Amino acid sequence: MLFNAIREVQLPLIAALLLAGCGAKLARALRVGSADAALGPTALFPMRMRRPLAIVMCAIELGLGVGLILTAGPIRSMAAADSIRLVTGVMFLVATSALIELRSARPDVGCGCFGDFSTAPVSGRTLARSAFLAVAALSTISLPAMNKSMLNTNKVGVLATLAAELIILGALSPELGEGLIRLGYSAPCELRATSAERTLAALRRSKQWRRRVGMITDPAPIDMWRELCWRYAVFPASVEDRRTEVVFAIFLAQRHPTVHAALVDAGTGQPLPWPAPPPRTGLLRRRPNLPIAAPSVPVHVGSAPADVPLSSDL
Amino acid sequence: MPGAPAVHGCCDRCTGAAGSAAAAKVARRRLLKAAVFPSHDDSVTSAGTSSQADSSFDSVPQDPHVGPGRAGFADTGQLPRAVSGTVLDVSPQVLVLGDAGDEQRFTLTPDAVAWRGAQLEPTALRQGDHAVVRLHPSSRQTADRIWANIGRVTGIITERSGSRIVVDEGATRSPRVVAIQPRAAGRIQVRFPTLEPGYLIDVIGLRRDGELDGMIPATSQPAYPVSTMPQPPLVSGRIPDSIGGSATWHEPGDEPPGVLGVCYPALDPETNCAEDAASGQTHGYARMPYLAIGSVLRVKNECTGLDCMLPVTGCAPVARLFNDRCVICGTSPRGRIADLTMASFVALGGELDRSCFNATITIGE
Repeated sequence: MLFNAIREVQLPLIAALLLAGCGAKLARALRVGSADAALGPTALFPMRMRRPLAIVMCAIELGLGVGLILTAGPIRSMAAADSIRLVTGVMFLVATSALIELRSARPDVGCGCFGDFSTAPVSGRTLARSAFLAVAALSTISLPAMNKSMLNTNKVGVLATLAAELIILGALSPELGEGLIRLGYSAPCELRATSAERTLAALRRSKQWRRRVGMITDPAPIDMWRELCWRYAVFPASVEDRRTEVVFAIFLAQRHPTVHAALVDAGTGQPLPWPAPPPRTGLLRRRPNLPIAAPSVPVHVGSAPADVPLSSDL
Repeated sequence: MPGAPAVHGCCDRCTGAAGSAAAAKVARRRLLKAAVFPSHDDSVTSAGTSSQADSSFDSVPQDPHVGPGRAGFADTGQLPRAVSGTVLDVSPQVLVLGDAGDEQRFTLTPDAVAWRGAQLEPTALRQGDHAVVRLHPSSRQTADRIWANIGRVTGIITERSGSRIVVDEGATRSPRVVAIQPRAAGRIQVRFPTLEPGYLIDVIGLRRDGELDGMIPATSQPAYPVSTMPQPPLVSGRIPDSIGGSATWHEPGDEPPGVLGVCYPALDPETNCAEDAASGQTHGYARMPYLAIGSVLRVKNECTGLDCMLPVTGCAPVARLFNDRCVICGTSPRGRIADLTMASFVALGGELDRSCFNATITIGE
């Protein structure tokens, strides 16, 4: 009973995989505009043979996928159905052998089974999946034609087998992880391309910039570079007639990026203390009883060095 | 016969235009970064200036890679050191190199080996050969490995006429001509079956009259032409600090001789240089964290266990197009993650005629 349920599940599953593989290869060929650059075992062959081989492989997958579906139901000759199932099994055996060869000859090349999703180098999982599908296809030989009554009598067994097999195939498929990543992909900040203009715009909206802009002599950075999630921008500055530079480090976040700043000597690059902020006499004179609000940034007043701009933050 | 086309202009980030200027930029950027993110040691030793770096928030993310200020570069005293120069004289015991008027004498170890297209005895070297010499770790005056006239061309084939191939090594380097030697043609064609324009090539050989006599395939040719390079696999989650892959070497070009540095395949595309290969490809095969000239990497040779800190000194516009694996000691988990200068490669124990070693890079340690 269970063995029959297992066999019945194989046909639609293998057919779906074959058609998906053919579709993914076609999509890749259309995207790159050529079948020459196909991944997989075609890389083992000379260039002139790759295109026809890629086309033949795709055609075989399409033909077998459609054939498995058409011969799964009641048909006149079971021999035709068995032939297609046998060819499918043999194809997967050949594919397994080719992947073993590919793995040893070209360890850098992906199997190409599902086009762009299969760019990861051939691994043991890929080989196991191919061998598994070969066994699955061969197990369907002499399986009687499928009909509704068969499914109704063993519905639970078929569904359980289908679920178990999908889990096994998922575990054996490196493409699954790649597909899931693409569905909800957000690149880590280290890998995200962020324009310099956008970074500078974010910098100029920041409190650090407003606090330091008075000493900056040229709004255009004299040097700018990026490391991982940080972009650094250096601006020429002048403090009490001394040539200095203000260095900003801007975190490449989507919103409200963190900004750090430092003042350095223009000649030596050595850090300098920030100049004491000018007394805000005008404001205090007009409003002598203005209560001093707590700064948004906790500061250690007792040990605050001169560079902590208490007054300008209020 | 194909001739090398005109040289592309060198841009801001290439190491070539002025090696000293690039070195100054590397040092300056490290200094400025250290000013913004002072290391703990710095803040302890200079308490008076510990708050010179200021932040707009209290609970801001701190740079997890605070390092340049305290990262020590390669301690060449601990590593095999590379010396290059012209062979003036060689005997079974002594090698004399001349370089810019200087004469350097090195004692050869009994098992010292030379290479000039093939392994040979050091005494087979000729006067006038340009040699890269690896010094024995125990002594600065002892040499144990010599490569004579070795060269390497890595790039995109732009033109072919018979056995002569013009190769574009990226916008920051001159096009090179490779002459495939008849005795090496079979071996090269096995690994590089498509020697046609648009495909990648990486060949080691002997430098002669501005050309390279191709003798050894340095890798296997990627199955794709550069114009149809596959999309790089997506990466999600936290980027690990250490990345394993393949470390290769490149000819110095106009870099200062003996410079210790690494060309990194994922420099920030905003600075308009490294990602500017002639192919027009805007991405490499592998996604790697963006860095800049002056960033610091710890590069470890997984085959020898040697490691050192190296500054990023240039772009690797062609290395990033490869998706090959290094198989010197096991199969590297990914393709090219570092393109080292000759001196760095040799200092880390690499064999120039073997093209690569399995490496792990750690960013901003």
